[in-house]
Amino acid sequence: MKEKPNPIPPAGDDAPSFEEAMTRLERIVADLEGGRYTLEESLQRFEEGIALGNQCRRMLERADLRVRTLVEAGDRLVVSDPTETPDEEPRA
Amino acid sequence: MVHGESTVFAVSELNALVRELLEDQFAEVAVEGETSNVRVHASGHVYFRLKDASASLSAVCFRSDARLLDFDLSDGQRVVARGRLTIYEVQGSYQLVARAIEPAGRGDLERAFRLLVSKLDQEGLFDEARKRPLPRYPRTIAVVTSPTGAAVRDIFSTLARRFPCVEVVFAPVQVQGERAPFEIVRALDALNDHDVDVVILGRGGGSIEDLWAFNDESVARAIHRSRAPVVSAVGHETDVTIADFVADRRAATPTMAAEIVVPEREDVARRLDAYAEKSRARMTARVGLEKRRVAELVRSYALGQVRGRVERGMQSLDFALERVQRALVSAALARRAALDTAGARLAALDPREVLRRGYAVCHDESGAHLVRGAHEAAAAGRMRVTFHDGVVAAAVEGMEIPSAKEAAS
Repeated sequence: MKEKPNPIPPAGDDAPSFEEAMTRLERIVADLEGGRYTLEESLQRFEEGIALGNQCRRMLERADLRVRTLVEAGDRLVVSDPTETPDEEPRA
Repeated sequence: MVHGESTVFAVSELNALVRELLEDQFAEVAVEGETSNVRVHASGHVYFRLKDASASLSAVCFRSDARLLDFDLSDGQRVVARGRLTIYEVQGSYQLVARAIEPAGRGDLERAFRLLVSKLDQEGLFDEARKRPLPRYPRTIAVVTSPTGAAVRDIFSTLARRFPCVEVVFAPVQVQGERAPFEIVRALDALNDHDVDVVILGRGGGSIEDLWAFNDESVARAIHRSRAPVVSAVGHETDVTIADFVADRRAATPTMAAEIVVPEREDVARRLDAYAEKSRARMTARVGLEKRRVAELVRSYALGQVRGRVERGMQSLDFALERVQRALVSAALARRAALDTAGARLAALDPREVLRRGYAVCHDESGAHLVRGAHEAAAAGRMRVTFHDGVVAAAVEGMEIPSAKEAAS
């Protein structure tokens, strides 16, 4: 695994990334198509899938790019605060 | 051609003769020298002189050729000009008609380029096998380019148009000049300390000299050790640099780099629609199948024996359908919200579609609370029942609950 020494906080707190949500959703759709689960299990997956789809839509809705800039800080480069959502602090 | 001493020419005859000779003998010539007196005429023709320590000659580059120069000709440049010699008969002075002009030393640059390419190639820096796939949906995109060029504008506007739900880490660097390789390497290395999913490294078009930072060995190695995959976008389609060879993907232009890195939002929305529809169809079919199975049970056993099971089955299936519908309504609402802001296409999962298939939704009289079952209905007494085409007021006249204990499963 890659180590991640200085993570930039994800867009939505601890929400899964879009990629993670999409990948999980695709797994669920494939599972439902496979049809090897009980009704209850299928229902749970279906509900999770719909929720993931909703989540993805909300992420897609975000209208503005969040931009941070690499700036010099002494002898190294650090990431500045985002320009679009100044209320959120980088974790670094 | 032999002309005896007795032959006396008219000036124009002699000039014409010399011109023929000159044009015949020097139809293709290359000359290296320093430019001076560079003047761009209103016609677009460029007039200049080429000189060395002890001599000079006059030269012209006509508009059609001057247009193709990939650098700005100015005084004091060492250049190699290629063309033909002719005579300006009016003055009897000869001049070079330059078809192509390039900075002197370009040959050296090209040799250095070829040497470095073969060296890095042997080290395996260009191996297809070590090129990494790009993330399908990157969360954080680093953009390493000049803060002032067209490239940064093109990349940002393309990202914002296609898929704005990303975070961009912008690393402003000089992309030409002596400091450029150092700044590019420093930015790429600094990005390795941050959690970025993909890096776009690029600049707009320019002469070979302008693009030279992207042929720098240290830049090539920094791309190679980048933790995130790198998409290079240097110059125009025809410009190829070593950075392009090392990068995980090469884009012809900065705009195309952004297009490679993120999907089109509308395409993703359509994919989400397709997933929702597939799942809905699956679940509806599944519940239908289970219902038929229960009906089968009713037919094949004495009702008394399996009464409890059948009732439980029916209850849980109705509940299952309710869950399917609730989830779909939530999807439709989310979709509606997405439509309002993104202005996308019409909802495929309209809740009215569900009602149109024969289902109804019950609310209490105030319309504020959903009535989810017989007990709630009995408690409410009066209800508002919503069909696809309207709402009716209904009174509950009685309740049949086979076994309250079992139903509560």
